[in-house]
Parts: sequence; C-alpha cells; structure tokens
Amino acid sequence: MNEQLNDAPCGFLTLSEEDAILSINRTLLKILGYDHEQLEGKHFNFILSASAILFHQLYLVPLIKLENHIEEIYISLKAADGEEIPVLLNAVRRVRVGSSVIECVVIPMRKRNELENELLLAKKEAMTALHAKNEAYSDLEKAHEMVKMQKEELIEVNGKNEKYKMETEREMELAKKIQEALLPVPISNEHLDIQAYYKGANQLSGDLYGYYQIDDRRFGLILLDVMGHGLSSALITMSLHSIFQRLILKGSEVETVMKELDDILHSLFRNTSETSYYCTGVYLLIDTDKKEISYINAGHPPVILQDMNGKQYHLQSNRPPLGMFEGISFKTNAITYNKDSFLFLYTDGVEEPIGPDQLCTLIKNHSTAPLSTLKQEIINSLRVEENNDSYKDDQCFILVKLN
Amino acid sequence: MNPNILLRNNVKLKGNGTRPMIFAPGFGCDQNVWQSVAKDFEDEYQIILFDYVGSGNSDLQAYNVERYSSLEGYAQDVLDVCSALDLKDAIFVGHSVGCVIGMLASIKHPEYFSKLVLVGPSPCYLNLPDEYYGGFEKEQLLGLIDMMEKNYIGWATAFAGTVMSNPDRPELKQELEKRFCSTDPLIARQFAEATFFADNRKDLAKVKVPSLILQCSEDVIAPAAVGEYIHKHLPDSTLNMMKATGHCPHMSHPEETIFLIRQYLDDSSAIDV
Repeated sequence: MNEQLNDAPCGFLTLSEEDAILSINRTLLKILGYDHEQLEGKHFNFILSASAILFHQLYLVPLIKLENHIEEIYISLKAADGEEIPVLLNAVRRVRVGSSVIECVVIPMRKRNELENELLLAKKEAMTALHAKNEAYSDLEKAHEMVKMQKEELIEVNGKNEKYKMETEREMELAKKIQEALLPVPISNEHLDIQAYYKGANQLSGDLYGYYQIDDRRFGLILLDVMGHGLSSALITMSLHSIFQRLILKGSEVETVMKELDDILHSLFRNTSETSYYCTGVYLLIDTDKKEISYINAGHPPVILQDMNGKQYHLQSNRPPLGMFEGISFKTNAITYNKDSFLFLYTDGVEEPIGPDQLCTLIKNHSTAPLSTLKQEIINSLRVEENNDSYKDDQCFILVKLN
Repeated sequence: MNPNILLRNNVKLKGNGTRPMIFAPGFGCDQNVWQSVAKDFEDEYQIILFDYVGSGNSDLQAYNVERYSSLEGYAQDVLDVCSALDLKDAIFVGHSVGCVIGMLASIKHPEYFSKLVLVGPSPCYLNLPDEYYGGFEKEQLLGLIDMMEKNYIGWATAFAGTVMSNPDRPELKQELEKRFCSTDPLIARQFAEATFFADNRKDLAKVKVPSLILQCSEDVIAPAAVGEYIHKHLPDSTLNMMKATGHCPHMSHPEETIFLIRQYLDDSSAIDV
C-alpha cells in the first residue's frame, strides 16, 4: 500500500471473496484502535457491530455479488474498545490476477449520524402526526357519510309525513262536512226566528247545537261544548248528537234530556279511568203558547234573555258540567218571556274573546235590528278580537227572536 | 391459471421440464438471487420464480399491512402462486426466511409439494436463554432494523414514493428492476419484524413433506446449531453441511448448492422408484 493511501483522510481496506481482511490502511487502524497484525486475515465481521454483521450478510453480500459495487451504505464498525463507530461505506469488487478483491472506503460519520437520527425521529413524529390526521379525516368522512344517510332518511320520512298529512287533511275535511251536515237550517215562523254561527278552532269542533220544532207550539234548543277541541271532542259531540236529537224530538222533559246526556258521557269512559270527557251544555224547551222557557244550564255560560224593553236576564248555570259527577239530579228551571224578546246562547269561545259585558252591550245596541245584522256584528267583533289575540277555541252561538 | 396472481407476484416461468420447481427468495431479496442455481435445472424442470408482494417487481398496490405482518401472509403468496399455476408435487427451494415460508405453505397444502430444499433456514433468530440458541439478541435485531432504515435515507426513499404513486409510468418499474434487494422502507421494516421476531419452532413437527437442509459453514445468520435443531425437529429431513461459507451459498457457491440439490433429488427419486 502506498504512503498516500495509507494515511489518506479516509479508512481503506480490501476483502477477499470470502470477506477476509487482506489489507487495511493506517487511518482505519487508528479509527478502530488495532494494529495491522491484529486484523490481517480476520473475517470482516470481526470489525463489524452485531447489527452490522446481520446487515452485511443480508444486504451487502448479495449486493456486491450482483452489482459489483455499493455506495453510501451506512453501517457501524466495532472498535477494539467496543465502541460502535457509524461509518459510510463504499465498496467495489475487482477481479485481479484471477481472484476478485473487494475494495472498501469507510468514512466515520458520528456528527452526521446524530443529525440523521434527529431527522429520522422528526420523520417518525411527522408520520405519526400524519397518520393521526388521516385517521381524524377518515372519521370525519365517516361522520359526513352518516349525516348524509340520515338526511336522506329524513327526507324520505318527511315525504311520507307529507303524504300522511295530506291524507289526514282530506279525511278531516270530510269529517268536517259530516259534522256540519248535522247542523239544522235556520227556522223562521210566526213563533220565532233562529239563526246560528258555528266555527271550529280546528277543522272539527267540540261545540254542537241543535234546535227542533217538537210540535206546533214547542221548540227544543240545545247547545253543547265538549272540553277541548279537535278530533276527539268532535267524536264525542257526534255520539251525543244522536241521543239528544231522538230525545228532543220525542218531546222529553228537560231533565230527562240532560240526565241521559250525562249518563252517556259517564258510560263512554266507564272502562278507562285515565280518560274522561265532560261537557258544558244548556237545553231550552220553549213553549210558545205559554211563552215559557224551561231550561237546565249545566256549567255553561249564561243564556241571555232580553225583553222588549232591553232588560236582560241571565239564565245561569245551576248544575255542574255533564259527565263530571256521576248520579247527580237535574232540576228544571222555568222563566216566562214577552213578545219581541231575544235569546242569546253561546259557548265560551265566543264569550272569552269579546268579554261578557261587551257581549251584553252588543245585543242591547242591536235589539231592534234584524237577526242577521246582530249575527254579523257579533262575528265582526270575534274577528277583531281573534286578530289581536292568539286565543283559539271552538266558537258557536245561537240567536233566537221570540215573537 | 389466474393472471392476476401471476402479475401480482411477478411470476416468471422458465425451463423445458414438466416437473415444477419453485424458488422462494429470502428476506429483502427478489427472484434474481436464484439466477445461477435455477438456470442449471432449466433442462429437466419447469422453473417458477416469483417475488413476495412488497418486494422485487411485485405489485405494491396489492400490499396489505395486516396480511404481511406475519410470515403466514407470505406463505399465502406461495400458496396463491401454486394454486394459480395448479401445481402438484412441486420441489420447493427456499432461502433463509423463504424456508419457513415454504414450510408454513406445505403445512396448509402438502399436496402442492413433493420436497422442500431449505437453504440456510432458521425457525427463530432470537436467543431464548436456557432454551434455544437462535444467534441473536433482541437489541442486535433492533439495531439491524435501524440500520435498514438509515440506509433507505441514502438509496431507497426517492424511488419508493415515486413507484407507489406512479403505477402508470413503466420506466420507473424498469428502474426498480435494477434495484436488487430494495423495497419500500415501511414494507421492508414490516418484513424484517415478521422475519426476525418470528418463532416457528412449533411448526417444524407439522411439516409432512420430506426436506433437505443445506447448512453453510460460518453462517452468522443461521448458525450450524440452528441447522441441527431443525434437523432434529423436522420429520423426514436430511441435513447437509456445506463447504460454502456465509449465508448465501446459492450466490457465492452455486456449484456446490446445485450439486447437493441434485444429489438429494436423485437419491430420493431413486427411493421413490
């Protein structure tokens, strides 16, 4: 080995095909802390760290075999004192005088190695962060997909709801027509004139009225207000309607009519203690010959009777609402009237928005006007109040002019 | 024949014979390591060379982290190739970890194989005190993995990324073909962990296919004691100590390797007759 190579600023060694050390320069001997004699003829593994022995065998041996050279390989050498020295290795395999020799150059890279360690660490951290980011992103994607699916489900359910709603509305419209078909047409004869107004808070109403000419002198007037409003209340009015129509037309006594209605309400809910419906109501039996009104008011707003001079009498409630207490007795009251008196029957849906005093004044002020005018005035007042207020209840009233 | 598997594992068929002979590379290497040895058998055998998914010129897109986290996944590659080619009674020649991979494959489907030739096998690389000598301490194996990682900084990172993301650029694949023994660093690391931390000692007894163990002298990776251990526990096995040194006799001493394989195949076929 020439002097220049011997003291070159890099380690140099040659290996046999079998990886025995053939020659080694002074620089490398100094790095490793060995004498020439200690290494010559030794296997290359002798100056490799344990990991490098594996790496050399797994990678470098086949690489050199197949490609005849390797470049920039990082391995660690093992010095005489056991220290592991990170080095960069280049090697070339040359055929010389029939046998091949592997020439190696090694350069220690302690400082660069530290830098690379730092870089690797940073890279690992970056990979971990990237992995976490990707995980989070994939979770988000999943959540997004879920929301999309739920939205689609909602749209579908909504469509079904819409269809159901339309069907229900159609049914309710039909039910409303059936309910309205039960209402009597206005009566106008030599004994009296009757007009009525009827409006449900929803399509269906819990209010119901009826008036019937029983014979040539007697008329029956009934007004009921089932608690609540809407479908359930409307169904109850329907079941009550068939009862009262039959009883009234038969000319039953006032207390008989009310007692029967009370009984039917109790019997409807006998088996279901959780539900019970009650109903306020008033029944008036008018005898036009005697000019006498027999009546029972069960928890209902007072019926206003106004005589020809404008004096008003209130036919007050003297019984609890129907269906509330079982087995109570009903007592009929009676009052006589003069020619040209007014009767005004109404539900609380009319009384509450206008106010009882205002209602009385309204009737008094229009006592000489035709019934239809008074009716319109009351409706107008209701409209005004409705606009001011969100109050919503079934509304019903009956106006009777007694001749 | 399933063309997808053949592409996936970069299967190459050579030779003029009908009896199949399949060569499995060891850790970190591709089918090129078998060049010299395989060539010698071309006249009488059908030669099958392949790369594991993740190494050589295999389809990296087919790599699955879960599957290839254990040697069973690599054994499945061998079985897939055998199944795709409809092999029967093949001679399996494996190197290093390729031996365990072949043993695992033969346990699952012994009908594919007639003989196993195991070059430098080891069922477990770790030393287990008072129990087993594999040749390595855990720290040394971890050091190897670190060293692999650092060398990728210098010579593999650049192309690993580009190949993965440019499947439509064949010139990069050409480039890859030249890069013997280099793979994607993450895949190489996983393969290293699957290989060097595996313990397949219990599987030896399950192998039913007869086998030849070729044990090198002075093999630091699979020392002679390991070869003897395998011979003792592997049923119907023949142990042959080689003059060749190192861990890659098929590359460093192809003549001796060929000679011993031939001798074994001839002897055992004589017994068959």
